[in-house]
Amino acid sequence: MAEIQKSWRDGALRLSTLPLLLLMGLFFVIPLIMTALLSFQGTQYYRLVWTWDLKVWTDVFSQVHYWTIMWRTLMMALVCTVLCTILAIPIAYGMLHRLSRWSDHITLLMVFAFLTDAVLKTFGWVLFLDRSGVLNGTLEAIGFPPAAVNVLFTPNATMIGMVYNLLPYTIFTIALSMARIDGDLVLAARDAGASRLRAFIEVTLPLAKPGIWAGAVLVFVLSLGVFLEPKVMGGGTSPLAAELIRQSFETRVNWPLGAALTLVLIVIGAAALTVAGAVALWQARRVVND
Amino acid sequence: MVSPIIKATGIDKYYGTYRALTDISLEVANGEFLALVGPSGCGKTTLLKILAGFEDLSAGSLVIDGEDMTEIPASARPTRMVFQKLALFPHKTVAQNIGFPLHLAKRPKPEIDAAVRRMLELMHLKESYLNRYPHELSGGEQQRVALARSMVSQPPVLLLDEPMSALDAKLKKSLQAELKHLHRHVGTSFVHVTHDLEEAMMLADRICVMRAGKIVQLGEPSEIYYRPANAFVAGFIGDTNLLPAEVTREGDAFRFSCDVLDCPNPIIAADQVAPGVAAGADAALMIRPEMLRLLAQGESADCTITGTVNEFFIRGASIQYRIAAAGTEIVMDIPGTSTLPAKQGDPVKLGLALGDLFAVEA
Repeated sequence: MAEIQKSWRDGALRLSTLPLLLLMGLFFVIPLIMTALLSFQGTQYYRLVWTWDLKVWTDVFSQVHYWTIMWRTLMMALVCTVLCTILAIPIAYGMLHRLSRWSDHITLLMVFAFLTDAVLKTFGWVLFLDRSGVLNGTLEAIGFPPAAVNVLFTPNATMIGMVYNLLPYTIFTIALSMARIDGDLVLAARDAGASRLRAFIEVTLPLAKPGIWAGAVLVFVLSLGVFLEPKVMGGGTSPLAAELIRQSFETRVNWPLGAALTLVLIVIGAAALTVAGAVALWQARRVVND
Repeated sequence: MVSPIIKATGIDKYYGTYRALTDISLEVANGEFLALVGPSGCGKTTLLKILAGFEDLSAGSLVIDGEDMTEIPASARPTRMVFQKLALFPHKTVAQNIGFPLHLAKRPKPEIDAAVRRMLELMHLKESYLNRYPHELSGGEQQRVALARSMVSQPPVLLLDEPMSALDAKLKKSLQAELKHLHRHVGTSFVHVTHDLEEAMMLADRICVMRAGKIVQLGEPSEIYYRPANAFVAGFIGDTNLLPAEVTREGDAFRFSCDVLDCPNPIIAADQVAPGVAAGADAALMIRPEMLRLLAQGESADCTITGTVNEFFIRGASIQYRIAAAGTEIVMDIPGTSTLPAKQGDPVKLGLALGDLFAVEA
């Protein structure tokens, strides 16, 4: 502890944080402030005019349409986070313990998929899910009626795409924290009389919590900003916040509106993370007091 | 032995083609303290894991508490393990750690609480520790919590996998004494794995010395110390003198000849010769350092060794001498005194009683 505290008083060490501070300042804090300032301006004939009024904000708060999209975005992000976490836990566990001989191969395949361009992968899903695509063709061949699965261009297809593209984040973070758990702890639980499932619930799961939270936060933040999946797989019928913001900037050339909507999205995301953090903290405290 | 709590018969263990254990047969009596001793890689931990159910056996049979263990998973065995690195659950409090086996057995909470408090008292742990986490305790306290967790459900057999190896010497000594006391108090059978034969001799009723996956010798501590089967067992503890010798049968007794020893009447009794040597194997005479004494001028003994002092170490209770004699180095421990009886380079004469000699397989 003393070492850690001392390090803050060490001038050379503080100096070493300068590049990071500069980077964050230039490319995160300043753009954020610029965005905030932008939201108080107006537009005329597709031109930015410096007005300094609340017109855009009154617009944002009076239009139900924007809030429907924000709400939908938040819900999609939450569902996507839950799905990614629930799917990743058994996958990560299985990769480490049941298929440990193949875990390197599985990791490699996942990295390949992960690093493949998202546009390619998403269009791949379109080919797969299309009414006359790979999935329906296969189903038809084994006796199902034509176009049995009609999911493409619905919010469900968007969700499939989001989960598919974001799942690696949860798998990697959870697998990483599970791999760090001392195998003897699981053996100790088994030795004390726990079944495999019980040992998993009593030992593996609680000790993998940091990875589970980290993965969930990553997926949540990223899924608030998805634009490719709703457009390509959802067919653009139920746009999410990122699409709305893109339209404000590009199609309508209303930068102040886009800036205001961006801030709304950031605040919603930050608020959701704060609540989640508070819940996690409260849970940790409860365990201590129990 | 009336009814052994553990009966292992002809256990083999293979990892692929590597043979980790070969034909291990041993019995542990109810309430006995057995130590498994050997250098690292000798298979002692593998054997313990087989007893615990963490490893399958490749051949042979294992019966614990009258039940065949082949199909019984670790979670249902009448054994509990104390792990080398303790394996306390870092996310559970001391109370939750100790009560865990009872919690799993779905016992009512008041019963668990009572049992946890009983263990706390038995292990001399403070009640204020109940709500602490393992990382908030010292090494010795963590040790006791680990012991308490494994004993709380009163298992018939406790398996200990070198739980003391990480402790400093002083703490180790006090915990060893406590463990011995605990064993007497609870009457559970202990199987204790260690690479430290001294620890094994202190604690165990019987010692099983292993090497390269086989049992080399199984016997009481005094047997292992004074009647080792071969040079490996003899050399496993302390600095032992092993002198190559010719041993030949002569009637009921044995005659020996050894370059280093000067004996007017080199005859030893049949029980001073290991079975392997009696059967004709190459022999070495074992002399424990404390069996030698320094002879004064004109004093005589059954056997003598003449040499010069190479080095000496004052250890408090004893003084160790390393003496060059007939091309080899002899180690001698004598009781500590305030005046040094001999210094570096001094010529010395050592004495030894014939009855202290023991011939082991070289």
